[in-house]
Amino acid sequence: MQFWLDKAVAWGQADSPDTQKDTCLHLSRLRDFLQQLITHINNMSSTTETMKTLPFLGQFLGRLCWNPYVTAHATSRRLLFQCLWGLYTEHPCNAVERKANQWIRKVLCQLATEDDCGAVQTLMKHVGVPPEEYHLKVLRKRVTLLQQNIGKSCSSLGDMNQRCSCDSLLAASEACVPLVTCPEAAPLIGALLQQPVTCVRAALSENFLDALSSAYSSQLLLLEEQAVVSLWYHSLSSLEEAVLRLLERVLTKTGLTLQQLKQQLTESLLVDEGTFEGLVPTVTSESAGASRDPAVRGHHKVFDAWFLLVQCAHWVQAAVQLLVTSGPEDCGPLLWLLTFYHHPTNRGHHRALQLVHAKEAWDHLRSLFVAFARPPPVDRLQSLVTLLSSQPQRPSPSPLLILSLLVNFAVFFQQPLSGSTEILQTV
Amino acid sequence: MEAVLRNLAGTAELLAVAGRSGVVEQWDKQTLSRAFHWARYCEHVFTRFHNNPGMRRIMEKQLQLTNQSLQAAFPAYTDVSFSDLSQCQHLLLVGLLNNPELPSSIMKILFDSPANTKQTEHEDVSGLCSHIIQCKSACKVLSPLTDVSAVGADAEVQGAMLMEELATLLSQSSEACRTEHFLDSVLRGCDGAAQHFCLVIAAALLTTTNPAAQTASQDFLLDWLREKHSELRHMCSTSPPALLIDLSKQHLKFRDAYCAVLKKWASEMEYSMSDGEWVQTSTNQTSVTFQKLAERFLALLKACPSLREDVVKELNVLKISDGDFDVRGLSVWGDLLSVINKCP
Repeated sequence: MQFWLDKAVAWGQADSPDTQKDTCLHLSRLRDFLQQLITHINNMSSTTETMKTLPFLGQFLGRLCWNPYVTAHATSRRLLFQCLWGLYTEHPCNAVERKANQWIRKVLCQLATEDDCGAVQTLMKHVGVPPEEYHLKVLRKRVTLLQQNIGKSCSSLGDMNQRCSCDSLLAASEACVPLVTCPEAAPLIGALLQQPVTCVRAALSENFLDALSSAYSSQLLLLEEQAVVSLWYHSLSSLEEAVLRLLERVLTKTGLTLQQLKQQLTESLLVDEGTFEGLVPTVTSESAGASRDPAVRGHHKVFDAWFLLVQCAHWVQAAVQLLVTSGPEDCGPLLWLLTFYHHPTNRGHHRALQLVHAKEAWDHLRSLFVAFARPPPVDRLQSLVTLLSSQPQRPSPSPLLILSLLVNFAVFFQQPLSGSTEILQTV
Repeated sequence: MEAVLRNLAGTAELLAVAGRSGVVEQWDKQTLSRAFHWARYCEHVFTRFHNNPGMRRIMEKQLQLTNQSLQAAFPAYTDVSFSDLSQCQHLLLVGLLNNPELPSSIMKILFDSPANTKQTEHEDVSGLCSHIIQCKSACKVLSPLTDVSAVGADAEVQGAMLMEELATLLSQSSEACRTEHFLDSVLRGCDGAAQHFCLVIAAALLTTTNPAAQTASQDFLLDWLREKHSELRHMCSTSPPALLIDLSKQHLKFRDAYCAVLKKWASEMEYSMSDGEWVQTSTNQTSVTFQKLAERFLALLKACPSLREDVVKELNVLKISDGDFDVRGLSVWGDLLSVINKCP
């Protein structure tokens, strides 16, 4: 507690660049601490008791309320207010509690309604603009100004001695740490993420990327599609988060209709609708007729998604391993992922057929390994060999795919090693 | 019309109740939403009719009546004027949050935070205060990065709003004095914050978002400014010189006014033998050295080359009237002229 109290005192209202930077650095840890405080406050039977255990709590919370870096971020603001409400007593029975109530109301009232500059208020009254609208306009103006500054490209190309506008990128990204949950700041954050890295100095603050990542996982981030994809490029952990979330959603929901599955996959931005078309076994007139207007854009996104998947190949590995142990109901999306990895393009719309073949291969392998018959049935093995040695012509799935399935089955399937070895040797 | 007046009266009563009555104890989320709905309604009414003198008068009369009856009902009641209506939601919020009888449950609704940033309904009362605080804080967080420019985002926004209002006034009324009154009252309102006011004026004059509509408004503003001698002087001495140059480049009238101020400053200087330099005599002005004054002249002439010939001619005339000596320290005009002539 003392550590954080000292910090709060040192930060003040975050007026100097040092205090601003320090606040940003500690924001996520502060959130954890506030969460701990809430638990502590809730465990106490009354505010009087809480104040006995933490006499400086009021001072601490009060200081944080006036630090805009703390109040700008949705989560830290929510936690801070929760602490305050935790100290509020519906039926106060002594002076301490009454005073606490009064103080809490006063602080909240001031935060929401007071304005620093009287002259501004008068001017706004004269032109008939309410304070809320004014602040919103100023915020949007600031965001636009910064966006324009960032847009200015840099031509120093790696010359460390030349000064360039990219220095401001780092500062801007650092300042945006508390603003990751602020919808009005989204254009600025998007611009920062999509700024091409042309110069050694054009780096985004690590703290900023972490803050974005955690806002993304709490689903508090509101960015445009392009910006989200750019985030994945910058921060591998947020990409992993996205893939993990997708797999979780897709695998844990049994009985997903095809439409729902499609929605899940496209919402995740990892898959583009055009790519998904192959999953629809019966070509309805809708999906056949509808030519995706931004077709080029579609291909771009497909490539982007595939490229990212390749960079995170361990996800594909995980999918293959899962295929060994999953049942026929669950294998659909996993097979899809595997097929996509090996055949990202969908020329001739053979994806559906490829998937059917992939499923056949999987069934094959499964029955091969499940059946404890020794020696393994020759005809099964024969067809497997055929699949493996066949030319990689569409629509059959690539031999590599079959091979990786085979190897994984051999390694991970629950059966004596000898059985697996025999199958492998024979094949 | 009847309905509108009734609603205005009703909302004024609502404001009084919200701020002063224990009735708020009974309020729930629905009541709260309705209250803010009516406040928004009044804001719309204001926007619609504030530049319509006839309608405005009728509404002001209604409010006067309502105020009288509310005065009787609530001790220390403060009147609600028509112009207050532009900030009706804010007034409602201030009243509620300052009302000790307001249940904490209602406050919690106002300060609630959304679970995720799915677009909340535009007119949802829940989290209203949270959003306001987020907005104000975000402004403060971004201010160190953006306010390095001469004018600053706040002043730009205020300047733009000022221009909008001017344009509306000028288009709607043929009497120039109404618009003058408006500017005068704005100036009075900024009493004690003269520098801020100067920045806003500068920003207003530099707004370029809507050139067609702007010329008339900016012209009017310039004419008005030229008559306000002390404000103009203050503006020239406290604003960043680069800003003044920008203004001079954009507006001929400002260029001439600025030049006139510089000449006035020069005329107030006396040569001090002990310092070996020209110094300002009057002490109640922001001090400017001869060096700085000369720099400003040079900067102005560099930015507005068309001015040069006239200025040089004028300075020459003044120098001649001072005796036409080429010795330093005898005529401020001569000394200025020699600095100017050195830098073509």
